[in-house]
Amino acid sequence: MEPTCRKDKVKLNSTPTRGDRAKQKSAQQELKQRQRAEIYALNKVMTELEQQQFEAFCKQMQSQGE
Amino acid sequence: MTGPNATSTCSPAAKMGRHRSKSTSGSTYCNSSPGAESATLSTPNNAGRSSGEEDEKDGGVLFYVNRTGFPIEGVTWERMWTHVAKVHPDGQDMVSKIRNAAYLPKHPVPSVPNFKPSMSVPAWLLAIQNYMKALQYNHTGTQFFEIRKTRPLCGLMETAREMIRESLPIKCLEAVILGIYLTNGLTSVERFPISFKTQFSGNHFHHVVLGVYCNGRYGTLGMSRRQDLMDKALTFRTLSELVMEFEDSYRRYQHTLKKVKIGLYVPHDPHVFQPIEWKYLVLNAARLGREDMRKELEKHGRDMRMKILKSSSAQSPIKERTRGKSLSPHRRQSSPQRRHIHRRDKSPAALDRKPAELSTLNDGYQIRI
Repeated sequence: MEPTCRKDKVKLNSTPTRGDRAKQKSAQQELKQRQRAEIYALNKVMTELEQQQFEAFCKQMQSQGE
Repeated sequence: MTGPNATSTCSPAAKMGRHRSKSTSGSTYCNSSPGAESATLSTPNNAGRSSGEEDEKDGGVLFYVNRTGFPIEGVTWERMWTHVAKVHPDGQDMVSKIRNAAYLPKHPVPSVPNFKPSMSVPAWLLAIQNYMKALQYNHTGTQFFEIRKTRPLCGLMETAREMIRESLPIKCLEAVILGIYLTNGLTSVERFPISFKTQFSGNHFHHVVLGVYCNGRYGTLGMSRRQDLMDKALTFRTLSELVMEFEDSYRRYQHTLKKVKIGLYVPHDPHVFQPIEWKYLVLNAARLGREDMRKELEKHGRDMRMKILKSSSAQSPIKERTRGKSLSPHRRQSSPQRRHIHRRDKSPAALDRKPAELSTLNDGYQIRI
């Protein structure tokens, strides 16, 4: 094949370029950061729920004891 | 702490003797019912089960395990939110509030403690414990790091590094692995796992902490929902004093201690291929008298200090077994090293009455550890 033809040939290779990989990595990092923020927001809510339930249980036990 | 178990690992008829306990897969920090929900299943109603996966339970409540790394993939992520929506009274509203928030505060990444030669051992242990507390106890219902207890130590240390890298909430088993990693190299400190099986309101609960021994004193590192069931200062003169302290703490939460399992010292070399010995000594607290338990713990403590105990896996490496695979005939034989000791059950009737009374007092709330 002539070199000029090779240049015009559509690139069928789908191997990600270095730039693509960097973008993917950056996107993954952002996703991880967002997930972490959501996890800690959720953990705060669930910790409070557990605390409330525990305190309610203790009060119930106390009043039953009385 | 994690879940109840449906079946016991030890034969109830076993008396004092030495035999190998059935192995449970690591991330179950509890014995689990057969079958599993895999993070890779695409439909929640999929009845198929992947082999080796197990249901996880925490006081009768299912909890899930992230087995696919970070960022957390879609199925596991959605499953976490579905679970909390069912558990929380505000349900989907609570979930939407968080997931749709344009801005969420960034939880600071705690600094990994840095050991300095000038630090005393108690100060170092405190720094480690404070680091774990800064990660927070994981109340989400999804465990973010998979811990297989039968994995080689080097593999578990890799998971510890991941915990530090990802900086997310952890539970008791993860805290033990992290504690081992952060105390590696401090050769004056010996580390060994202490596992508890307790009963509350008809359910069984499992918990584990990292026992530490230094200069004639015992203490623990760990994470729990309850402040007095995790770290203990290096002030206990004997192993039995330490375990009794935990028993007393459990009693405050109306948990009855059923079993205590003490492991062996964990090597300081993080590259060791040997797995952790989690249950070298198994004490059936329901049947042993307090005095008998004390004697056994004292003996084990002495033997550990004299370093005369050897893990069975040190002689023949344990292969990681997934659920459903039977043990080879050789492995079914009693290991001469393992010790199972039972405490005489002094008041079975009282124990039988308690669960019914407790379960009628509340709307199904379980004091989980």
